[in-house]
Amino acid sequence: MDSIIKATVVFFALWAIIRVSGRRTLGEMSAFDFVLFMIIGGSTQRAITGQDYSMTNALLLVGTFIMLDIALSIFELRSPLVRHVLNAMPMILVENGILLRGRMRRARITEDNILEAARRLHGLERIDQIKFAILEAAGDITIVPASGAKATEPAPV
Amino acid sequence: MDEFASRLYPVREDMRFQRRSWMVERAGWLVLTAIALAALTGVFGNGPLSTARAGAGPLTVVYERFQRATRTTRFEFEIAPGPRSDATLHLGGAFLRQFEIASIQPRPLTSTAGPDGVDLTFAARPNAGRRVVIWTQSRHYGLSRITAAADAGAAAAFWVFVYP
Repeated sequence: MDSIIKATVVFFALWAIIRVSGRRTLGEMSAFDFVLFMIIGGSTQRAITGQDYSMTNALLLVGTFIMLDIALSIFELRSPLVRHVLNAMPMILVENGILLRGRMRRARITEDNILEAARRLHGLERIDQIKFAILEAAGDITIVPASGAKATEPAPV
Repeated sequence: MDEFASRLYPVREDMRFQRRSWMVERAGWLVLTAIALAALTGVFGNGPLSTARAGAGPLTVVYERFQRATRTTRFEFEIAPGPRSDATLHLGGAFLRQFEIASIQPRPLTSTAGPDGVDLTFAARPNAGRRVVIWTQSRHYGLSRITAAADAGAAAAFWVFVYP
């Protein structure tokens, strides 16, 4: 009984903390973010298992986590509101080559982040070559290039 | 077009929801900061607000008011000097129900079970203060009221809260 309750509490507490930390944490994961997630896993793991290292407990915990995850995904399918609460919504950051700075500041996205995505996805070099830059619900940035903007050949070295 | 107006193309936005979720996000940061600061004061155990002292008759107890399940904590019992060459510490039943005793220093000469709790008798120097330290681990969550007494004096009553 104990392990099911613990698993449920930890699941929702972790979910709330990760959600509150904002999308940046979920999207572009740096090496340090990776370390951070390992530490989060390590810190919670012992609290959940306690001193019960039995196979029964391990399977109960895994089952509970998967069950909760499935339950959330079903709720997401049923209700758009739940979907938005759980996953956030996509948001436009660049519109026809113009940065929407207020949005960027609140979402903690810099111009460099957008340019990086533009370079990586389309080989674009400047903001005015971007028609739309969108912060997706998952936390990554996608780019729609302006018509006529195409990747220029890198200058010969 | 206003920066914070909802666009419909190329993605369908809901800036009202977006602004609200930013607000929740900011509130969440404040809550996380507040929790961390509160933890420094010891309200989650192991800090200045947690260390407490209770006493009655010849007994004074120094203990952690806030404890955490499975974590080892220390109870320090100070018994006022007496003429006898032994000292008795009575621990109420709640103490035994709430805690698993990891060690008792010094070791008691006898340990006698009673209808309510246990009597521990220690060898002691006459007319000198005696100090007994008991290390415990909490087994249950929540609030529990504990009583302890020394040398048949009045019982000290205090509470301990154990976080899960």
